[in-house]
Amino acid sequence: MGSKPCFIDKPVVPGDVVLDLSSMTNQTIKLGGGLQQDHDAVTVVKAGILRFSKPNKYWIESSHKRYIPTVGDAVLGIVVDKRADSFYVDIKGPMVAFLPVLAFEGGTRRNIPKFEVGTLIYTRIVKANPGINPELSCMDASGKAAEFGPLKDGYMFESSTGLSRMLLSSPTCPVLEGLGKKLAFEIAVGLNGRVWVNAEHQSSIILAANAIMNSESLTSVQQKIMVEKLLDRVN
Amino acid sequence: MEYVNPEGLRLDGRRPMEMRQLRAEIGVVSRADGSASFEMGNTKVIAAVYGPREVQNRSQQMNDQALVRCEYSMANFSTGDRRRKTKGDRRSTEISLVIRQTMEACILTHLMPRSQIDIYVQVLQADGGTRSACINAATLALADAGIPMRDLVTSCSAGYLNSTPLLDLNYLEDSAGGADVTVGILPKLDKVTLLQMDAKLPMDIFENVMQLAVEGCKAVESHIREILLENAQTLVIRQGYGS
Repeated sequence: MGSKPCFIDKPVVPGDVVLDLSSMTNQTIKLGGGLQQDHDAVTVVKAGILRFSKPNKYWIESSHKRYIPTVGDAVLGIVVDKRADSFYVDIKGPMVAFLPVLAFEGGTRRNIPKFEVGTLIYTRIVKANPGINPELSCMDASGKAAEFGPLKDGYMFESSTGLSRMLLSSPTCPVLEGLGKKLAFEIAVGLNGRVWVNAEHQSSIILAANAIMNSESLTSVQQKIMVEKLLDRVN
Repeated sequence: MEYVNPEGLRLDGRRPMEMRQLRAEIGVVSRADGSASFEMGNTKVIAAVYGPREVQNRSQQMNDQALVRCEYSMANFSTGDRRRKTKGDRRSTEISLVIRQTMEACILTHLMPRSQIDIYVQVLQADGGTRSACINAATLALADAGIPMRDLVTSCSAGYLNSTPLLDLNYLEDSAGGADVTVGILPKLDKVTLLQMDAKLPMDIFENVMQLAVEGCKAVESHIREILLENAQTLVIRQGYGS
């Protein structure tokens, strides 16, 4: 019934059977988020679009307000509490995440960063197991700070996870490309649906933030037009 | 009273096997993680889902599955005669429980241990079948929140008046004193997750009435499906720039 060409890149809803494993016995396939194997059938558990990547990966792409932590994702977290050995960081997930005080470049017991409650931090998820609080780190795999750390000034707003993924996708999405041509600004996008924007002038921050928030449901052409209109208004 | 006239029409002009008009919308509460409104004719409900989030009451935390909570309430202005204090009475406690159990059957709770999912459903306008409408709204809201589910649970009611099985009872028919069978099913798996009846019916008639309600559930499912697919389609449009 569910032969694979007909479902790929199509919207699916929970309960749909998208793959029939009995007809593809000699293949190894990898299932990503939103799919579940039930004997010989692969069923969908989340509403979204079925994506396929060669040679054998399948997953459901969707956009939500809440974030499910995944190892390796760069996220924007807010410090909610501090303890002797770690910071408690809200990453919009099912649980608060732990950021060990030593997970910074050159971090030692002597040299512990001081973050107030409410500090916005750009970090990376290093451990994410169901049922255990996720663990964060402000270092890349080789132990360098690599842009991770607290974000000062600027403006942070919440978006959906889908918008974050769009902003991070390559080739660069039309909003950022359009804004980048005329405006100088810094941006940090967390895959958990938080975006931080900073620029020299307040007006640029507002403009960039508004343009990004507006782009949520627009096509590429519409995004370009919207950005041009906004930029015309300031110049 | 005559609930089906000789021409075979009901009080509101429907045929016995006809459903009321369905309308649904996703994302109506901006603060919630997932939300939906659902209308079956004049019955109008709104559902909001929060979670999976941290368990508020530590003693209720479960280490192998998520805690699902549900709160059903009726707005004071939802019924014809305005009533006060509808929260926390026996009826709404019972419906909260029914909705919770129905939704728990389709949520993959074992994927989200030590967390909590809150479902809030509120009846804005009551015209019979609020229970079914709430379940349908909750399903949509859960799908919007991206909570993993086995299937889309849908619910519909059916009754038996003037020796005729009637689909999707409205308030007048509901309060006529005949049987009211509410059924909730998992359409893809073809399983029943909810079955309630508040009167007596002979066995053979009951089977017919239940079958009618199941047909109603399937009609609701195809509507809910369309709404969700339409919602997912916006993602395709947005990501269309890459290809």
